[in-house]
Amino acid sequence: MFSVGGVVSRSNNKFRVNVIVDRCKECGLCIFICPTKVLVRSGVMNRYGYYPPDPVFIDKCVGCKLCEYVCPDFAIFIEKV
Amino acid sequence: MALAMHVHPLDKHLRVKRLPTIFCSGCGIGIALSAMLRALDKRISEGSVNPNKVLWVSGIGCSGRAVLYLNYDVAHVLHGRAIPFAIGAVLANPELKAVVLGGDGDIAAIGGNHLIHAAKRNFDMVVVMITNFIYAMTGGQVAPTTPYGVYTTTTPAGNPEYPLNVIKLVGALNANYVARASVTTPHLIEQYFYKALAMRGFRFIEVVATCPEMFGRHIGLRDSVEMFSELKKRVVYRHRPSLEEAMIDWEKGIVIGEFVERNNPSFIELLRGVKK
Amino acid sequence: MRRAFATGNFAVAEGAMTAGLRFYAGYPITPSSEIFEYLAEELPKRGGVVVQMEDEIASINAVIGASWAGAKAMTATSGPGFSLMAEAIGLAVITETPVVIVNVMRAGPSTGAPTKTSQSDVFQARWASHGDYIVPVYAPWSVQEAYDLTIKAFNTAELLRTPVILLSDATIAHLWESLTIYDRGEVEVIERKIPKKVSDEPYPPHKPDEDLVPPMPIFGAGFKALVESLLHDEWGHYSPTNSVYHSLVKRLVDKVVKRLSYVYEQETRFCEDAEVLLVSYGSTARTVYLVIKELRKRGVRAGFLRLKTLWPLDEERIRSCCPNAKKVIVVENNIGKIYMDMSRIFRNQDVFPASVLSLELPTPSEVLEAVEPWL
Repeated sequence: MFSVGGVVSRSNNKFRVNVIVDRCKECGLCIFICPTKVLVRSGVMNRYGYYPPDPVFIDKCVGCKLCEYVCPDFAIFIEKV
Repeated sequence: MALAMHVHPLDKHLRVKRLPTIFCSGCGIGIALSAMLRALDKRISEGSVNPNKVLWVSGIGCSGRAVLYLNYDVAHVLHGRAIPFAIGAVLANPELKAVVLGGDGDIAAIGGNHLIHAAKRNFDMVVVMITNFIYAMTGGQVAPTTPYGVYTTTTPAGNPEYPLNVIKLVGALNANYVARASVTTPHLIEQYFYKALAMRGFRFIEVVATCPEMFGRHIGLRDSVEMFSELKKRVVYRHRPSLEEAMIDWEKGIVIGEFVERNNPSFIELLRGVKK
Repeated sequence: MRRAFATGNFAVAEGAMTAGLRFYAGYPITPSSEIFEYLAEELPKRGGVVVQMEDEIASINAVIGASWAGAKAMTATSGPGFSLMAEAIGLAVITETPVVIVNVMRAGPSTGAPTKTSQSDVFQARWASHGDYIVPVYAPWSVQEAYDLTIKAFNTAELLRTPVILLSDATIAHLWESLTIYDRGEVEVIERKIPKKVSDEPYPPHKPDEDLVPPMPIFGAGFKALVESLLHDEWGHYSPTNSVYHSLVKRLVDKVVKRLSYVYEQETRFCEDAEVLLVSYGSTARTVYLVIKELRKRGVRAGFLRLKTLWPLDEERIRSCCPNAKKVIVVENNIGKIYMDMSRIFRNQDVFPASVLSLELPTPSEVLEAVEPWL
């Protein structure tokens, strides 16, 4: 895991999940929608008091982008590694 | 200080300095917005839409605020008047590709007359109406789409009216495209908007959205995830459904799909004498 | 230049086309419809667009949208339609949109007497919309002046990026007189400022120049305009703070007041020796002028002040126009509205209202009857 400019990223050998920490409003939709349950609510609060998702189980990520599509706040996106 | 770096793939379409948006946690407007931007991004990168000619117009309400985050020509005008504003702009410069974004109150209640006449004219614009079943920005009053019997702050004894089915209304007029999607199906919003951008005439997309803060509070679904999954359960996709099938009923189900698809000459084409 | 025999409504339409009108949206209403009908015939031939909307609300909003797309735009209506346009006048003010709104006054309140004349919308023209602002209001008294002031209305709108009201009335609208129509190049036509180039970097689009007017980033040119009806700062961002509120509202007012010498126009006659000043405007001033000539024949030293601009008023010019007048009588076809301004402006004179409430152009005897008690 690494964090640059407010973005928390974790990758497996195919996909990287990026969370723009300070855009997140902790609605939980990404965690709910993820079919392989990659995301977990982080223990670290962002500047607005929300707990953004953390792609803890990144090994399970299949790059479906459902989290990116369902995020209302442009706060999470997936890249191919 | 807000995050100003371009990181998200859609950031080039956004005025990123203004993020985060004002929308409540779990609000569906952002889902619809990002789906529309993905469609627009695709159109721009394939060269069929010139980003300098895209104009976003919105009225007042939560959905009306969405355009303010877009890095395009945008106008946040009067409550209900986004459609006539866009009509004026497009008639004065037909190169403009106008997208009107609004809530069901803005588009179908206070702006209802403009909606009817723009559809009747088959006017050259895309209208995206975000239906959240409530007046949310003003604090949870009854909306044209609020289901029967629901408590709102102005119907404390339950909504005595049956809701307005805007798809049936617009479908009865001369619109070239009438579709409904849901924020629980963002890929369909993207697909419909992508298609609509390349069509002519009046294109109407209703996006059924989650509003956990106001509507959810009234119906006991205050949690974002709970509201989202309850809406998801009610949404039924049909392939090319008829207008008769365009049910939008919180109890019985919400039918999504493409209800009307025509290729009639648009208002501006008719003005110029194009007959087909 | 060509000569024509025309009505006031025709003159307004011709004036607008001379000024460069490219977009007209309207809704039929007596006594303004001929402006619409004539433009529907003529404007498309000259490359413009005319459209009939579903109501006056749609018309004015379409006109504002068209102006943002770079077109000089106008609508015309009468009292009931003007009432419906009220909210959008405020939109044009806060978004600094150059538009011209013609209100051909008819008698009210409400539906009133559609085919009959009146001057009762004088205050409504100034303050139709909520909020603090100033919009220029012009009132012609002849067919020629309907033409001239329409051009002036467009020039003011473009110069100051503001809505401008042209307050005609049913009498002027349907009056036939000779009219001189000018070609482009024979009269001054002002165009709005637009930003010099598209900036790659974000820039504050609402930051004014020295004349307090920001260049207008019109749609479709890559400016990424942000048209905002909310209280906004120079970036166009909603910011409900007192500092932004003060600077925006004050600037919207000051940019007009700063150009008062351009915006304000009046006409005086017989003022050198006048002891009684008769103030009037619009169609009623025609009768008043006749009555003044009659009064002077009878030995009354009457002077004539005719307001061409009804708002904002150049109080200093008004106060000093007739130095020897001891009495000021304000003649108007309403319950006495400009009278309120005059009684405020002429502090050292006695000011009297001479209201003639008439559905036709007030006759000389009606005006005399209203004026004589104060002589």
